[in-house]
Amino acid sequence: MDFHRPARQHPLGVVILAIQFLIKGVQSFWPAIVGVSLTQLDWMTLLLIPFGISLGVAWAILYYLRFTYWVEEGSIIVERGVIQRERLQVPFAKIQAINLFQGPVQQVFGLTGIQVDTAGSSGSEFKIVAMRRDAAESLRLMLAEHGVQAGEDQNSDPVDASEEEGLQDSTHAYRGRTMVDLDIARLMKVGLTQNHFRNGLLGLAVISSLAGGLEHQIEAWLSGLPAPIAALMAAATVLLIVPGFILMLLAGVGVSLVTTVLRYFRFHSEIGKQGVFMESGLLRRNTFQIPFDKVHLTDWRSNVLQRVLGFETLRIRQAQAGDAASGVGVRLAIPAMEPEHRAIMEEVLYPDLSQGVAITGIPVGRLRWLLWLAALLPGTVPFLVWSPWLACAFAVFWLPFTGWTTRNRYRAFQLTVYQDAVVLQKGWFWRQRVVLKMSQLQGVEWKRHLLLERRGVGHLTFHTASGAKRFSYLDRETGFRIRDWALNQLHVNR
Amino acid sequence: MEVTVAANPELDLSGVPRLEEVEFHAVSRKYLRLRLGVWGGTQLLILAAAVAPAVAHVLTEDPEWAMLSQWWWPVGVQSVFALLWFLEEWKGFPRRGYAIRERDITYRTGWLFRTTTTVPFGMIQHSELVQGPVSRLLQIKNLRLFTAGGSGNLRIAGLDEEQAETLRAILETRTRKV
Repeated sequence: MDFHRPARQHPLGVVILAIQFLIKGVQSFWPAIVGVSLTQLDWMTLLLIPFGISLGVAWAILYYLRFTYWVEEGSIIVERGVIQRERLQVPFAKIQAINLFQGPVQQVFGLTGIQVDTAGSSGSEFKIVAMRRDAAESLRLMLAEHGVQAGEDQNSDPVDASEEEGLQDSTHAYRGRTMVDLDIARLMKVGLTQNHFRNGLLGLAVISSLAGGLEHQIEAWLSGLPAPIAALMAAATVLLIVPGFILMLLAGVGVSLVTTVLRYFRFHSEIGKQGVFMESGLLRRNTFQIPFDKVHLTDWRSNVLQRVLGFETLRIRQAQAGDAASGVGVRLAIPAMEPEHRAIMEEVLYPDLSQGVAITGIPVGRLRWLLWLAALLPGTVPFLVWSPWLACAFAVFWLPFTGWTTRNRYRAFQLTVYQDAVVLQKGWFWRQRVVLKMSQLQGVEWKRHLLLERRGVGHLTFHTASGAKRFSYLDRETGFRIRDWALNQLHVNR
Repeated sequence: MEVTVAANPELDLSGVPRLEEVEFHAVSRKYLRLRLGVWGGTQLLILAAAVAPAVAHVLTEDPEWAMLSQWWWPVGVQSVFALLWFLEEWKGFPRRGYAIRERDITYRTGWLFRTTTTVPFGMIQHSELVQGPVSRLLQIKNLRLFTAGGSGNLRIAGLDEEQAETLRAILETRTRKV
């Protein structure tokens, strides 16, 4: 495949672009559209519909004609823009992630879109919405291969030294050992172990926004009833709390299953010599390849249900563009990672984990009491709402319960520092394990207020290219040792 | 899966350079004047906002301003905040400063809320010298350092113009060397 001559996208890209522009148009003008649809419709306003559609199509055709891309001296160049022309030049070495995606339209026509992300300022990434599958594959191969080679020149990772054969055969750079492969049964397991409570709230919000008109009808219906029956109905609503809660949880499970299927349908991931490969999705199928040296942070999460199944969700974080707070970077997640998968991943990414622990840190005991205090606060609410006896009974239950959960939570905090890796662990019900490399650290911060300073306690923050990670309430001596070690290893390992 | 016994040798941590032993350089005294000026200006504005209803009360003799008899509540709270802020500026200023080592730069601020941030030269993407109109009058400059991801960005404010240029020059040579 020759990419050195300027080329347009696949002609069917016009269709995809037109649909995208129409959706975007509806999204940005929806208040106006809703406003117009509420007024008396005459044929003049209805004429606006074909006019809007033809405008979208015309714009898509122009955009298609004015969009060209080619490869030149280690960079991919994109020229785009209908009125304002724009020429993007992205050097292969700056590419963080290459993502192939197939929305519903692309799937129908057997096409593929390709999305290229860089770590630089936002706006330097681009999408080619329609390419033939084989063309996209070979373009990706070209970008990925050059990108990794150029990346290696800059910082030589100890892992890459033994991998010269991998470079020659770059088709297998991201393939090799299968990691997670979701069949229907496993997909259901992933769906059933999501956070249903959060999804239930989400579902509830959707339902209540859809059923906004229902409220008035119920009200009207209630006011028609005789007074004693209405009072009885009002009392009966208390009985609805439990079924309502169950209903919400069921809605949560439903939302979880649907979102899981949409996101992780036919999920397949492999690990190769240079990186991780994954593809997933139902309506929009995404294919990712992440080179190891562009991984800035790995974040393992699991809840109690997932741990029963031996599942963890891995989030791979890459460098973020611009402001860390905006969090626009590509978010990649691999669900249903089993302990052996984690062992494989961490052995490749952080080979020093087996070379011995340098320093460990746990929060000072004071944090435990602070956490308990915070957990006890909701226990005071019944004293305001219920009768004193009932509230006391609740307190008798709440005090030991929160004491127990706080003990577990406190014990889960752990900071482990190795030759080049830092592992931050926390959480008991929802457990989180973040691993980062000291050689990729952007800065280290020690923070405390006056009262903590007096007690010799502070918070240690690791600044990475994909955001800050903080470990709170460390004693000063450990904190300083870890900081000094991190600042030293940063240069030793680079 | 086969079980492997992890090799677990002890790592030697002695000889790792210690950050708390470095010497911090203070920023310009003129920057204290700027910060106290901001404090004073804000307090004056708040005072004006507090006095205005009282003046209105005296002028109009409107009974609606009767709640002014409770004036000492908000004034008390406000003066506590004003005092804390003043202490933060006054006691925090001598603690404000930067230190430079072979491979990194450290910036320390605050009395009530203390932070010490260290950024390795090698991770600095670019730096910026900023001088607003008031800073120009006082002849001070602010140095901003940008790192990838943005979370480690550093702003060293209130440097003497000369000091700022020196620091910038140091950064330029160091960033290239590392």
